[in-house]
Amino acid sequence: MPQEYFALILGYIFGFYMAWNIGANDVANSMASVVATKAITIRQAVFIAAVLNIIGATFIGTHVTNTIRKSIVSTDVLTDPHVAIIGTLSALLAAALWVSFSTWKSLPVSTTHSIVGAMIGFGIMAGGFSVVNWFNLAAVAMSWVISPLFSIVIAFVMFKIIVKLILSIRDPFARALKLLPLFVGVTFFIVVLSFLFKTPLGQTLAIDTAAALLIAVILSTFCGITGKLILERIVAPNASNGVEEIFKRIQVVMACYVALAQGANDVANAIGPLAVIYFLAKTGSVGSKVSVPTFLLLFGGTGIACGIAMAGQRVMETLGKKITTLSNTRGFSVNFAAATTVLAASKMGMPVSTSHAAVGGVLGVGLAGGIEAVNFNIVFKIILYWVLTVPASAFTSMAIFKTLRLLF
Amino acid sequence: MRIPLLSMFITSPFSGLQEHAEKVKECAWAFQQAVECYVASQCKRFEEFRQEVVKLESEADAIKRRIRGHIPKGTLMPVDKFQLFMYLREQDNVLDAAEDSLDWLSYRPEPGLPEMLEKDFFLLVDSVIAPIEELEKMVIEARQYFKNYAKEQRNLVKGIIHGLRKMEHEADKLEHSFKQKTFELIKDPTTIFHMIRLAEIIGSIADHAENAGDMMRAMVAK
Repeated sequence: MPQEYFALILGYIFGFYMAWNIGANDVANSMASVVATKAITIRQAVFIAAVLNIIGATFIGTHVTNTIRKSIVSTDVLTDPHVAIIGTLSALLAAALWVSFSTWKSLPVSTTHSIVGAMIGFGIMAGGFSVVNWFNLAAVAMSWVISPLFSIVIAFVMFKIIVKLILSIRDPFARALKLLPLFVGVTFFIVVLSFLFKTPLGQTLAIDTAAALLIAVILSTFCGITGKLILERIVAPNASNGVEEIFKRIQVVMACYVALAQGANDVANAIGPLAVIYFLAKTGSVGSKVSVPTFLLLFGGTGIACGIAMAGQRVMETLGKKITTLSNTRGFSVNFAAATTVLAASKMGMPVSTSHAAVGGVLGVGLAGGIEAVNFNIVFKIILYWVLTVPASAFTSMAIFKTLRLLF
Repeated sequence: MRIPLLSMFITSPFSGLQEHAEKVKECAWAFQQAVECYVASQCKRFEEFRQEVVKLESEADAIKRRIRGHIPKGTLMPVDKFQLFMYLREQDNVLDAAEDSLDWLSYRPEPGLPEMLEKDFFLLVDSVIAPIEELEKMVIEARQYFKNYAKEQRNLVKGIIHGLRKMEHEADKLEHSFKQKTFELIKDPTTIFHMIRLAEIIGSIADHAENAGDMMRAMVAK
């Protein structure tokens, strides 16, 4: 079956290209605010994000994935292996091209929505409009509005709370130390819950909501108290900018979690379709679920890491020019809002994207007067790209599918 | 080439504002030197100091244009964009007025300042130096206020604004008495014209500093 092997090689190339794009476009979600606050250097951010994405992808990432993300297209379109291989290849390339284009335009888009849109394009070509689950697609559309709005509100409120309780009082550092267990606790509460609910590893553990809440409360209380003991020791000497120093640490923890979760969740966008092609080429058929070999996950994680490295190069160029720097309390509010939004929305069954939530977080803090200058105008452009993501990758996918069908 | 999400953060106008205020402060020194040199009969460096002020003014102008040119429509800031521009204009006017007064002096190098007006003249000049220098402090403290939104910090800024108002009042009084003395003591009409106009231009430096303070008051309003 030389044709199948040819398809598999193409699959590896397209899959790697997609993973690389995920890294380049999404690294900002976890690391942008940390870099903008100068909590860590860009080199450190790139290194941490790359390593955590590989770890997240390989070890926490799903070993069993739905062949079609978010069940938007019926798996009936995959019955003919020849069509299925060509379709999946087209979808993979189309999604990757769209993400590439957005990254080039420096606009954050959802890589999940891109692959979903691309699969829709292929689905319509292969099986007509009836294969598309329009209800699930509507949920995708709703997330364009709901996740940023939700994130704006959380970031706004979080920042106002920090100002009210800490920054605006006479001795902010003493107050920050006093409230430290609370902020560390809340952070870990969100991180632990997200880990249990959001990541594939957490889903395999299959802990029910009540138990998960209990675990999160216990762990966050513990982390809150130990966090205070540790931070008191490291931060105390240079108390002049102590509040920001404290939030810097919390922020880095949060960003690390986002990077890890990103690797775990988003690797499937590149590797899911690749796994489908892999099994079609090897066995000639594929079900609604497919188990992903670890080496493919590692392959995807490495692709993401390569994308991150390239993006890091660009960040250095950007920061060479002067941009508004965020303080750590602001950065924390952004990260917290993004993580909370993703957790809450996905618990409600919405296909949210970290990109969307992060944009909302920045806006929320900006609206609360926390950032010296935010480009609000670009938001309309960003939203336009979110909306365009699904149709653009769908049409590209259709075109590629048509072309490939003519060739093979 | 930019990176997704980071493109939302644009150059802060506040750092430009602070840079501009620094230029204004730098000019205070050169302005004072130039004026003293004009009065002292054997000083030949008046032109040199005047050129220094001209240079600072054009540098500050470049900063002003840079700030105005880098706030795209729809920029979200803790203050109103219009207020920010008004503030910048007043802060820039302080520098312009300092330059104008030196230009005015340079039109009549001879016979220089009448000796009997010297004391009042120096009092007037000194009274406008302090408000020029105060602007930078005000910008720095206001920036801090937008970081922590603390009541004390806001009061500190308000205190500086209040101080500017008082300084302007002092300068006004000195300008007044300088003009009075000019009419009392000087008989030559050309000299009277030169002196009266000079007093007015120098006095306007403090006026613009006060106006800047008023705009700042609007920016830190809750």
